Amino acid sequence: MVNLYLKDDNIKVKVSNSKSLREIARKSGASMEFGCRVGDCSTCVAKVVKGNELLSPITQKEIFALEAMGSSDKDLRLMCQCSINADEGEIEISYFF
Amino acid sequence: MSHLVAKLSKSVDFIGAFDPKIRTFDIIMKTANGSSYNSYVVRGSEGVAVMDTVKKEFSDEFFLRLESVCKYEEIKYIVLHHLEPDHSGALEELMKRAPKAKLIISGRAVMMLKGIIKSDVAFETANTGKKISLGDKTIEFLSTPFLHWPDTMSSYLHEEKILFSGDVFGSHYYDERLFDDEVGDFSYAFKYYYEHIMRPFKQYVLQALNLYSRFEIKTIAPLHGPILRTNPQYYIDKYEAWSSEDKFRKSTFGKKMFSVFYMSSYDNTHKMAEVIMEGADTVEGIVASMYDLASLDEKNMIDLLEESDAVIVGSPTINGDAVKPAWDLLSCMAYLESQGKIGASFGSYGWTGEAPEMLHDRMRWLKFRLPVQPIKIKLIPTEEELNDCFAFGKEIAEITMGKMVEMEI
Repeated sequence: MVNLYLKDDNIKVKVSNSKSLREIARKSGASMEFGCRVGDCSTCVAKVVKGNELLSPITQKEIFALEAMGSSDKDLRLMCQCSINADEGEIEISYFF
Repeated sequence: MSHLVAKLSKSVDFIGAFDPKIRTFDIIMKTANGSSYNSYVVRGSEGVAVMDTVKKEFSDEFFLRLESVCKYEEIKYIVLHHLEPDHSGALEELMKRAPKAKLIISGRAVMMLKGIIKSDVAFETANTGKKISLGDKTIEFLSTPFLHWPDTMSSYLHEEKILFSGDVFGSHYYDERLFDDEVGDFSYAFKYYYEHIMRPFKQYVLQALNLYSRFEIKTIAPLHGPILRTNPQYYIDKYEAWSSEDKFRKSTFGKKMFSVFYMSSYDNTHKMAEVIMEGADTVEGIVASMYDLASLDEKNMIDLLEESDAVIVGSPTINGDAVKPAWDLLSCMAYLESQGKIGASFGSYGWTGEAPEMLHDRMRWLKFRLPVQPIKIKLIPTEEELNDCFAFGKEIAEITMGKMVEMEI
């Protein structure tokens, strides 16, 4: 089980198996904001406060989006591109930052 | 067309276009006497900057005005404060006519640029603090995202204290006299514009006002409607007051507003609403209220939704759907910020009972936080089912007050 804490919604989710953040957001009722859902619009950018290494590797679309935003913060991720890629650990995500 | 080129200052000219015939803007906004697409030219000792363009069908008017104040080879920069088509419609043609000009856009505009100009064009991005020089004139950029497009930025001309605010402080109001001290009374249009365009982004308005406060502002040059030069602070104060939460009851009394909106055919959904409200009202810090959607007009819906920390919507199911007033209520969220609000849905039904789930799904797309699954009851609620409604209201109220939601997925 991975313990995922969605800070801005005050939701703590125990996640089994690997799941996408989109699926987790939908099932938990979190207010995480998605736009295009394919990594083009940057609406779903969020800060991984803890446990970025437990998420799927950063994609080319995310690299391009961060460059376009002028940010070099490697903990800023596009939630539509991320899945949990581990069996245990702690992840904390903030989308109002 | 009129050949008016209005001077804002010694080195800044208005070169925008007028659209007196438009009556509905962006599909949703009424414009009783038309609008304008404002753009400006800033002249320095070492070249010219063009600040925004116009809607494509007004390009001729724009180029005619532009050509009357500068030559294309003088244009050193083209600044697009955001890329919405009513301001970027003449961009591609302008870049062809002024090939040496450097395009300046915000970082967030890069992907939108690719959607507007299909060929590769050279551009530079600007964030807060970046400056460009026209010799004796300096323009500084300010990142003011989501006002009202994600890529929106503003800029400030230091030497003449002019704020180019993008759509912020705009009005859909046509008057070729152009300056706030010369045009008719546009106060209704200024407020209407704020309510329809800026209201969903209040937190970003306050951030932008904070950035603007670093500068002494003599003139505000928005992208629509009158140029504000008599008392810019008056308009800034208006935005500050409208965007500040102080006017809302919840923050005044430190309470969270829990609003149950419902429609009922045979009193069953009404009964559920009453008990949900009672359950919520037992939670310290919550003020729960209920509203019959049959008697709320749109303005009241918007005001109530804005004040509500928790929005609970109840509808019976009629012909496999929620009733129209419930959809009307949720459509009002287009004018508001929904992120951070808690939502839930419920309803009694006779045959199929899809309405609560449909409303739940719609609220998810509207970015409500939906910590509790919808509750639906076949026809008349039993005592046990009403107890469930009580617990439903209480649980949502506790989450509204900060209780952590824990679950396994």
